[in-house]
Order: sequence, then C-alpha cells, then structure tokens
Amino acid sequence: MSGLRSFVARRLLLGVAQTVAVVLLVFALTEALPGDAAVALAGDQPDPARIAAIRAALHLDRPAHERLADWAVGLLHGDLGTSLTSGRPVSTYLADGFGPTLLLAAITVALLVPAGFGLGVLAARYEGRLVDRLVSSVTLAVYAVPEFALGVLLVTVLALRLDWLPPTAVGYGTDLLGHPAALVLPVLVLLSRPVCSLSRLVRAGMVDALASPYVAQARRYGVSGAKVRYAHALPAALAPAAQQLARTIDWLLCGVVVVEALYVIPGLGTVLLNAVAERDVPVVQGLAVVFGVLTVVLNLGADLVTHRLVPRAGVAA
Amino acid sequence: MNHENDTTDPAAPLGPEGPAAFLGPGAGPVGPASRPVAAIRDLRVEIDGRAIVDGVNLEARPGKVTALVGASGSGKTTTGLALLGEYPPGARIGGEVHPAAGGLVGYIPQHPAAVLNPARRVSALLTDIARSQVCHLPRGRRRAAARERVLRALSEAQLPDGEALLRRYPHQLSGGQQQRVVLAQALLLGARVIVADEPTTGQDALIKSRIVDQLAAVAARGIAVVLLSHDLDVVRALADDVLVMRAGRVVESGPAERLWNTPRHPWTRELLTAQREFTPLGLSTGIGEPVLRIRDLIARHRDGGAHGRPTTVLRVPELALYSGTCLAVVGRSGSGKTTLARCLAGLHRDHEGEILLDGTALPRTLRTRDGAQLAAVQYVFQDSRAAFDEHRPVLHQVARTAVRLRGTDKGTARQKALTTLTRLGLPKELADRRPDQLSGGELQRAALARALLARPRVLVCDEITSGLDTINRRGLLELLAQLLRERDDLSLVLITHDLDIAALAHHIAVLDAGELVEQGTAPRVLTTPEHPFTVSLMEHTARLGMGTGR
Repeated sequence: MSGLRSFVARRLLLGVAQTVAVVLLVFALTEALPGDAAVALAGDQPDPARIAAIRAALHLDRPAHERLADWAVGLLHGDLGTSLTSGRPVSTYLADGFGPTLLLAAITVALLVPAGFGLGVLAARYEGRLVDRLVSSVTLAVYAVPEFALGVLLVTVLALRLDWLPPTAVGYGTDLLGHPAALVLPVLVLLSRPVCSLSRLVRAGMVDALASPYVAQARRYGVSGAKVRYAHALPAALAPAAQQLARTIDWLLCGVVVVEALYVIPGLGTVLLNAVAERDVPVVQGLAVVFGVLTVVLNLGADLVTHRLVPRAGVAA
Repeated sequence: MNHENDTTDPAAPLGPEGPAAFLGPGAGPVGPASRPVAAIRDLRVEIDGRAIVDGVNLEARPGKVTALVGASGSGKTTTGLALLGEYPPGARIGGEVHPAAGGLVGYIPQHPAAVLNPARRVSALLTDIARSQVCHLPRGRRRAAARERVLRALSEAQLPDGEALLRRYPHQLSGGQQQRVVLAQALLLGARVIVADEPTTGQDALIKSRIVDQLAAVAARGIAVVLLSHDLDVVRALADDVLVMRAGRVVESGPAERLWNTPRHPWTRELLTAQREFTPLGLSTGIGEPVLRIRDLIARHRDGGAHGRPTTVLRVPELALYSGTCLAVVGRSGSGKTTLARCLAGLHRDHEGEILLDGTALPRTLRTRDGAQLAAVQYVFQDSRAAFDEHRPVLHQVARTAVRLRGTDKGTARQKALTTLTRLGLPKELADRRPDQLSGGELQRAALARALLARPRVLVCDEITSGLDTINRRGLLELLAQLLRERDDLSLVLITHDLDIAALAHHIAVLDAGELVEQGTAPRVLTTPEHPFTVSLMEHTARLGMGTGR
C-alpha cells in the first residue's frame, strides 16, 4: 500500500501547484479586465480625481505584483484578505455563501445517487426492451435541455401558472431549510442533467457487466437476480460513474452560477457573480482557492474509489 | 390452516423421483453401478435454421470422465453448456437434456480469470454460494458456517492457505490458483457434474499434467467430469468415454481404449494422426550467415510502479539465427520466451546488450527503428483476435502493412495482400470479412499474411498455434515450413512451450527462469538433452503423450 500512499502524496502536491496556477490565472485575468474596484465603487460619479482617491485608499495604485505578494503572504497565515468594496473579511463571504451552496449540493447528491444508479440499473436490466428505450430516450431528451431553459420553463409552469411553488428564494436569505418549498425548483434543475449522464454511464457499464462471464457464473451457481445485479455486476460497472459523480459534486459545490442567479439563492455562485461585477479581486481569489482545493480533493477521492473498484488498473499520477 | 393440502395436491407424490425416474430404465445401455447423473438425448441446437449441434447423445456418469473431442467450431462447447441449461441467444432447442439432480452442474472455463469478478475479492461468489446453503441455521451462526464451508472447499481444491487467498483480488492470483478457485466454486456448490471447457489449452506441459491430476482427483471424488478439449494428450490421459464431434454431430463414440486402438470413422483417424504427424524441417541446409545475433542480452521488468526495483527476467549471453532456418525458443510460461521475442521486435525497451541484424545493431525501441528495420523484424502474436481491429475488414488491415512499411500505393498493396492471403488459404470472400466473422485459425493465417507483406528477414511467431485445435495447428505449421522453403531470405523464431512443435525447427534454445540453459540443433537437443530442465520438460511431455497422467 506504500505505492498508494506515495500516489496520494504526489497527487496532493500536484493539486497545490494546480491551485496556485488557477489563482495566478484568475488574478491575471481580473487585472486584464477594463476598470477596477475603484471605478465600480465610484459608480454614478466617474470623476477621475475621486477614482484616484478611492484607488489610493484601497492601495490599488501599487503595482500588481506587490498586491499579489501581500495577498499570498496573508494566505500563508490563513488570511484570505478583505473585500475591496465592503471591507469585510473574505472568509465571511465564503462562510455565508457556502451554507446555501452546500445545502443545495447535499440535497441534489442525496437524490442523484439513487436516481442515477437506479435508472441505469433498471435500463440495463431490460436492455433493448420498452423500459430501457423509455429511460434512454427521456434521459437523452432531458440532457439536451440547458439548465437555464429548464429553469425558466419550470418557473413558468410550476410557479407562475400553477402557483404550486415559490418562483425564487427572494426574501428567505440564507435560511433556506426553513422554506423547503423554495428548494424544490432549483434542486430539480440541478438534478436534471447529472441524473441523465450518470444513468447513461451506469447503464453502459451494467450492460457490459451483465453480459460478462463472471455474472453468468454467479447466475448459474444460483445467486439470486437482485444480488447478481447489485453485488456482482454493479461494482464492476461503477468505475466510470464514480468519476462522473465526482465531477458533478465538484460542479455543484463550486457555485452553480446559472441556477443560483435564476432562483436568487445567496450561494457561492452569487458571491462570485457579484465579486466579478464589482472587480472585488480578493473575493474572487478567495473563491478560486476554495474551488481549486475542492476540485483537487474530489478528483483524488474519485481516483481512490476507482482504484478500489478496478484494483487491477493500478494508480498513475 | 388445515391438512387439506396433503390430500388434494396431486403433484406431491411425483416430486421426489423427478429426474432419477427419467434416467433410470430409459437411459440406454448403462451398467447398474454407474447410472448417469446427467444426460443429453438427441440434442439439436439451431440458430437461424442452421444446426450447430445435431443429434447428440451424452451421458455423464459419476466418477467417470466423458470427453468431447473435435476441432474448434464442432459444437463441443454448445453441447457442454447445454448440460448447464445454457444455450446461445436465439437458439431453437430440440431433444432432451436431463440435468443433474438439483441442477448442480459446475463449470470450469478455458480462461478461469473470465469468470472471476475483477472488482470483487475472491471470496465474493464463494460466500454467496455458501450462504444459500446455510439458511437452515439460526441467523447468528450462518456467517461462521458459510466461512467454514468456503475454506473446506478451497482446501479440497488444493488451495491450503484459504484465509489469505479469500482477501485477494483475482488479478493477484496465478493462473493455476485462479483455476483452482473456480474448481472450489464447483465443489462448494456440491456439483454432481463438472463441465471443463478446454482446461489445458495454451498451457505448458508441466501445468497441463497438473491440471490432468486435478481433474482425475475430481473424478475420483465420484463427480462426473465432462471434458471438452481438442488436446488429445489430455483426453488420452483422462477420458473413460470419448465422443468425437464434427460439424455438430457425433461421428464416433465409445470407450476411450477402443477408440484409440481401433478408430472406426475416418475423421477420428484423421484427428488422431494430425496429432503427431509433423514433418520436421530437418537439418539446416548448409551453415549460412547469421541473420540475427544476440549478444549479452539482459532484459528487466519493473514491478510496482516507477519506484519498484527492476528485476532481471532474461539473460541470453549468445544466440544466433541463421538465414533460411527456424529457431525454436522453448520454455515454460514465465520463462522469458515472450520477453526475448519482444526484445527482438523492439517492444521491450528495458534491456541491455546487442541485437545485430545483418551485423548492424538494432535500436532498442520501435520508435527509434527506421522503416527498413521495422519491416525486417515482424511479430505474429498469440492472440490473433486481439491483434486485429474488430471494425475493419481483414484485407484492409493486412494491406496496410505494405502501405506503411514498403511505401506501396493502396491498389497494389490490396492486390498483394489478396495474393498473399489466398496463398495462405484465405480466399477473397473470407478476406473481405471483419475479424469477428473469422475463426481463430483463419485469423492467425491473416496475421501471418500481414507480417509477410512487410517482406521480413525475421518472423517472430509467439505461440501462434497454442489456441488452435490439432488440425488447424498442423495446417499452420505446414504453412510455416512451406514459407521457409519458398523464401530463402526468411528466417523464423518460433516461441513455443510445446516440444512437439519445437521438434520442427532446425535449432532449439531452451529457457528456464530467464536463463538460456541449453541450445543446439533440434535433433541433438531432443535426443540427448544435456540440461536437467530440458530432460524434465521432455519427461512431462512424454508422460502426457503416453496417457499415463493419472
């Protein structure tokens, strides 16, 4: 197992390098955008003298590399800096935004796993028959609809026409758990595409596994149907699905901008959107660090799960 | 609840006798001591109106080995799987199959690894089988009882260290261990009949004789063994009854003894003679120049990722291949034969020493060899199916060699490929098919044609006959001999574990555990072997051949 441990260590080291690269890239890109926080703050009175004053007050007149260096030193002490526009610490932005995002992601994943795997196994079990064709064509159709379009459609039908659900989470703040009805539409939209991609991957893997000689052997030795499907075929079919699941969780945690904006949910996506609009570089960079770390950790986790599911493949970094 | 059931259920009295009653009186001329535990009567399996098995009768008797013999595609496997109640998809079934009492039939496939789930530990299926047998126990004791049954089955299958083995994954076992785990599954099941499908194909003589012993031990436990094989040595060593199949029909059947001594059907006679009748190439025609010379070759493998220490797997101080001759490299599985071939072909990078082609050193890897060097050394692989792209016609793939390595234009290459394929016995209508529509023997010929199109100086054949039945094998070997006679610029390196095949060559080199232990002309090595390993290899081959394997 020492091979596995050194693999994890190498991957984490590589992950740190990747996160640093992401942060540098984000910093360079926000620098490259026209205008800065001072221009955004000056708002309706774009008086050059006023902008210069704000710039001096925010230390934006210092060279870019010095600002980056300051921020990086702070980061090493666990300090993500303060927002340029409000002066609040970046960490409070992240803490506030993470709650709703995590809630949405947790609910989505909790529903996604049984739905995606269940549909995939179901379709594979009846491969080529009516159930399979129904599941496969519906998932393909739903997958083809972009989230914003599905979101707007659901709001129009379920909220505005039928008035069953609140159209957005406006006014509920970060206390979304107290208003579960507001969560239904966003979770539905978030679920729609991942369920389709996951179930199609599971179906493909299961079709292969169910046709394999080892499943035939389990059947001929009298192992029951459900046990063959879930204990013998599914483990061999899981490896690609595990990778896809990790990417989906990553996508959910790293601020689902479109859905959060559509349903006005104050999650990380909304924080990111506002920070970019206000050229609030420290907040954007803080988010980049969090997203980078999340991506690295989730993908490493998926690789370890895959290694467990396909022990023969070994590990490579 | 009352006892009305006892009197009104008409099916009840008939139940227990079931299959036994069926097989009793009507089961044909069988001695009372060995009533068959499973039988097939007049089986016909039809796909799209074409019969792949027709009119087959078979009886599996306890403690006896019944062998189904025949070339690939003769319907052996279809018949064997029918005993398990399994048929090809879309097949129409005629006749009767009386499976073993309780339907307990074990199956040992040609590749045991295929029936072991790569994602689960070895214990997975074994535990599931055992669990279903301990339902009658109170819940708390089931786990321990199942465990005990599994361990007992493993030790019965000659796997003593069961505890440690159960925690491993199939890929962490050797081929022999995998086979014994599959056998343990059948024993745990309590199978009355075990169907073994080509259990020895592609194995070397030592492993073969071990498998023979193992199957003999299974039969000695009173289990009926149905052996499907084209390996006549193994059939000779094991079988009590033999059925010879051809094109889905049984052409001859009877006690093994009678069949070997006085075969009645011409096909049986042909099958039996195909076994040994090879014409050796004889002595090399004059000492030509060595076309290929190996000096101080040391090849290594790295295990356990980039940080593992390399282990030396092959050491060849000096070996030469003379122009127009055939060199057989013989050894057991894992002796380094294939590594040597891969070094020659530039497929194994991690080696030292020199490989000289016509006096000039060959670069170590394919990537660093130029076109002429690539064309000069060609490789034919053991698994011909894996060596072809399944989506394109064979002809197209064969012709690519001439385009890539000889710079021929497409039309000419196609023409040349067609000529070569036809000469090797693959007419145009076969060559235009995709690989999945060709048999193993036909594909191996196509692979040979593909290599020949490069006009190689050295043709490396890596166990190219070990997956084939005797008749296909003889055909392919005769083809090789003919090629060698016709093309004087061609030399062969024949990698094999089979001394009978090595006997065809001009020279033989024997490898054991990565060391070149003996080399010399074929008649010399085969008649007066010097190294103890060569002697033991020959003894095992002889033991199988004599049918004294039990």
